[in-house]
Amino acid sequence: MTKKTAVSFRLNDRPVDVLVEPRELLIHTLRERLETTGPHIGCETSHCGACTVDLDGMSVKSCTVLTVQCENSHVLTIEGFAKGGQLHALQEAFMQEHGLQCGFCTPGMITRAYRLLQENPSPTEEEIRYWMSGNLCRCTGYQNIVKAIQYAAAKLRGEIVETSHPMMAEVTA
Amino acid sequence: MKITIEKSLDLPLSPTLAWAMLQDMEGVAACLPGAKITERVDETHYKGTVSVKLGPATVSFKGNIEIADSDPAARTLHIVGTGSETTGTSGASLDLHAAVIAAEGGGSRLSGVSDVTVTGKVATFGARLMNSVSEVLLQKFFANLAARAAAIEAAQPASAPSEAVGAAPVAMPAPAPVEASETKLNALSLIWAVIKDFVASLFRRSKAT
Amino acid sequence: MNDIARDPKADLGRLEKLEGIGCARKRREDPRFIQGRGTYVDDIHLPGMLFGVMVRSPYAHARIKSIDTSRARALPGVHAVLTAEDLKPLKLHWMPTLAGDVQAVLADGKVHFQNQEVAFVVADDRAIAADAAELVEVDYEELPAVVDPFKALLPDAPVIREDLAGKDVGAHGARRHHNHIFNWQIGDRDRTDRAFANAAVTVTQEMLYPRVHPCPLETCGAVASYDAVKGDLTVWITSQAPHVVRTVVGLLSSIPESKIRIISPDIGGGFGNKVGVYPGYVTAIVASIVLGRPVKWIESRNENLTTTAFARDYWMTGELAADADGRIKGLRVNVTADHGAFDACADPTKWPAGMFHVCTGSYDIPTAHVSVDGVYTNKFPGGVAYRCSFRVTEAVYLVERMIDVLAQKLGLDKAEIRFRNFIPKESFPYHSALGLDYDSGDYAPALQKVLKAVDYEALRAEQAAKRADPNCPTLMGIGITTFTEIVGAGPSKSCDILGIGMFDSCEIRVHPDGSAIARMGTISQGQGHQTTYAQIIATEAGIPASVIQVEEGDTSTAPYGLGTYGSRSTPVAGAAVARASHKIREKARKIAAHLLEVSPEDMEFDLDQFHVKGDPARAKSMKEIAWAAYNNVPEGMEMGLEAVDYYDPPNFTFPFGAYLAVVDIDKGTGEVKVRRFYALDDCGTRINPMIIEGQIHGGLTEGFAVAFGQELPYDEQGNVLGGTLMDYFLPTSVETPHWETDFTVTPSPHHPIGAKGVAESPHVGSIPCFSNAVVDAFAHLGVTHTGMPHNAYRTWKQLRALDIAG
Repeated sequence: MTKKTAVSFRLNDRPVDVLVEPRELLIHTLRERLETTGPHIGCETSHCGACTVDLDGMSVKSCTVLTVQCENSHVLTIEGFAKGGQLHALQEAFMQEHGLQCGFCTPGMITRAYRLLQENPSPTEEEIRYWMSGNLCRCTGYQNIVKAIQYAAAKLRGEIVETSHPMMAEVTA
Repeated sequence: MKITIEKSLDLPLSPTLAWAMLQDMEGVAACLPGAKITERVDETHYKGTVSVKLGPATVSFKGNIEIADSDPAARTLHIVGTGSETTGTSGASLDLHAAVIAAEGGGSRLSGVSDVTVTGKVATFGARLMNSVSEVLLQKFFANLAARAAAIEAAQPASAPSEAVGAAPVAMPAPAPVEASETKLNALSLIWAVIKDFVASLFRRSKAT
Repeated sequence: MNDIARDPKADLGRLEKLEGIGCARKRREDPRFIQGRGTYVDDIHLPGMLFGVMVRSPYAHARIKSIDTSRARALPGVHAVLTAEDLKPLKLHWMPTLAGDVQAVLADGKVHFQNQEVAFVVADDRAIAADAAELVEVDYEELPAVVDPFKALLPDAPVIREDLAGKDVGAHGARRHHNHIFNWQIGDRDRTDRAFANAAVTVTQEMLYPRVHPCPLETCGAVASYDAVKGDLTVWITSQAPHVVRTVVGLLSSIPESKIRIISPDIGGGFGNKVGVYPGYVTAIVASIVLGRPVKWIESRNENLTTTAFARDYWMTGELAADADGRIKGLRVNVTADHGAFDACADPTKWPAGMFHVCTGSYDIPTAHVSVDGVYTNKFPGGVAYRCSFRVTEAVYLVERMIDVLAQKLGLDKAEIRFRNFIPKESFPYHSALGLDYDSGDYAPALQKVLKAVDYEALRAEQAAKRADPNCPTLMGIGITTFTEIVGAGPSKSCDILGIGMFDSCEIRVHPDGSAIARMGTISQGQGHQTTYAQIIATEAGIPASVIQVEEGDTSTAPYGLGTYGSRSTPVAGAAVARASHKIREKARKIAAHLLEVSPEDMEFDLDQFHVKGDPARAKSMKEIAWAAYNNVPEGMEMGLEAVDYYDPPNFTFPFGAYLAVVDIDKGTGEVKVRRFYALDDCGTRINPMIIEGQIHGGLTEGFAVAFGQELPYDEQGNVLGGTLMDYFLPTSVETPHWETDFTVTPSPHHPIGAKGVAESPHVGSIPCFSNAVVDAFAHLGVTHTGMPHNAYRTWKQLRALDIAG
């Protein structure tokens, strides 16, 4: 076994320290050492994006990052979005727009969408689809995910938002 | 996944010397980057390994080589090899027919037709690279062979070599890696060479082999 | 159904508070998923847990001469390396499949497909386990592989299943060759042959439905934890049928089911991939029992794509006999089914070709005959998976392609020919020529609605204009499917899994404060059961959905069920939910009558309360009744307010739909762009329209993937190509088209709330729709069929073959 290295970084705004072999991937450190099981593993060829986290202000696939590369970095995962019981606009949006079904791609999707909206607060549908193309989903067909991101973008811009799925729309009284 | 490779190489050696060079299994194996014979079981059976360095990791194949048929009169050789990758995830086999033919000017031409079959991870992940990788590996192999041939030529006694088949044993320099840095095939230079080869093939029309 | 007469305005408030059937209720499962607090199997961490990795064969067909595990076992941190030899004393080296065959758990002397399980390494963590797996030395003697089912049936084909030597009768009848599994036939052969002999017109078409894979985003895995002190086994597992797994594990291990607990926690997509029992589950359980510590096994994506339940691989030949007006007189189908090396199809026992006999489709076909031959090849096992409802995808593909072939032969419009052949509404319940009793259907209005929505005539006019224009850079195609599927397996007299009838169940318990807990025998993998089952209970028992806790997946608490696949949750478990709710409601009626001192017949149910008929002021709410159930019940009645229902459906249900696709094919590149896709679905009563729409989007996207890119081909040596996401096409947000959805409602007459089930329909119906559109683009040039997937390269080859400029 190779000698382990100590790595210190900030995870969801709190300091963490780990002891890892150089070959250990960030996704495994998060999920197995730091009890952060929000980011998921869906492949081993860095296609699916279920492991997406925000590293020093960039979306990265944590399956393709070595933990030893993260010394002094800031890592944001899905667990860091809700603050004090208050959901982030994106989390509210995914729920209001039905942007998830099995939930497996959702942490990666929301983390990626967060970075998108940081860089482009008013994306067109084409821009959203292009930006999210590194995150695969098998359940939703992406249409409601796009709507969720549009909802969150509007909310973050301070606009009034409404769900596309009014509760009683189909109930004939 | 199975491919057939046909290659030939002009050597500045008489057919006798070229044939003798071919008989020296250890020497020939040393010309293939990353390959070596580890054991000579008997006249016609050898064991060997091939290693490819991929960054920090090394992929190693180990296997058996059998000289299925050797015809000194016709100077033809039939070699069969089977091997598996040491982590057990891939297998490969080789069926090679090689011949030494006299060329004008006293030299010779070494030509070979090989059927290479791979199974397992190498086939799943590497299938689309097989032709290019083989091409580059064989270019290096032939460059090394040509250099070895030149070394053999230089090591011969001053008297003119006999053209007769089955002449006295030829002075054969000990097999040494042509360039020390070539013993383990470096993946980065391999990938670059493959890319160059691929781009070149887009512009190549018919290629005289 | 609901027997309510009420004032709409007055009740909208109470209706909205109830969140019953028909509401776009936001999902109860979402809060944990959007905060990364779901519990998937790989999220489970137990003290002392070990990690297991499979060693797999690189060869498709080989003898195992020896396995040397010494170097692996010597690596520090390795606790065990299991091979077939270790499983033999427990008789676990082979296990039964759901199709009446056996499957090797760890290869016993021979491997039958590439990546077959050979050894199982258990170590302290995944890195050591991976290192140790590489140290296991297996000496193979390669054998010739056969990957073509037709070559597999040649007299001199290699023998794949030596363990079946001499057995010329299998689980489904006689076997006529060492690689033959079964021949299954249904229908009237003689009557059908006569119809063909007398027909004015006949058409034949061969078509392959290629091997694909459901590829859910979460791969399969298990955490097995055997408590040696208590003698209890707990297994967290990615399973769509946890109770079936418990029964199978009990059978294999001889541990009584009472001491086995199977938990299917949150599951990251199933799509039929997570129905069967995989060798990794068994070896994890054995390792845990042997080592007395929890053992986790999670497969990689490559393992998932190349060894777990595949889908399709049906080589079909369809024939239609018709009169000159396009009225179909007979259907004949022959199928060669490539099942891989072990028949592990997750079909109900008596149906080796699943529900393929729904292939008469939405059409009134007087006679039909089907013959299916199952074949072994050196490929991985499976067959029934991927949103298919037991081979319904194959059946619908066949009939929808064939009717287009017939339309082209007769020069008939592809919508018109369907109208001419639809089973008319008055004929329901309809007994099909292949023995199925369709419950209800109203096909013509559905298709009419679609054609009107897309302005079909304008589209055909546009297509004609483009065909006439030599400079048009694209070929335009219009695809139509009007499909009927069969879901909701199923009546126990015809449907069983390993002998257990395919009923399902629900148990509801109402607490003194009027809130409730409900458990079912199904398990959601994203379908939103926590949300939708509560809606059924809200409408049928008058308890607000917001206070109903729905649980599934833990065999120690949930009543026995056969699981979720084949769109069976709503038609079967949903019916049990409704009936259990009715039992609650009827007990509540009696309690309310007792409280109001009237007779139960004088009580009227009104949304969430009972009132005296004609005197609405004298009422008791369900909340008040719940409290009373625990202290003030009529003489002779038990306390409490709960009910259990085990529902054995009297029949399947038959949802249907009408889909239309418009495609534009670039003549230069062969790229197919889906310009428009209109999907109309009829699933009977719609419980949650938001969830239905989401599921339709998802199913259409999976259908798009199958039609335009997915395949798992094999080369001559038996190497499976495309076993990672580098090659296996999963659409991203960029290429996924925009979907338009619509609906009609034709309730099922035999279902307590008229619901039929939904969400495999978009997959079943969209794939032939895409194929029909692509073929339609070439139809004027005489093309009757092009095989899937319709990727750019294959379409470009078709263009070249037709000498189309570009």
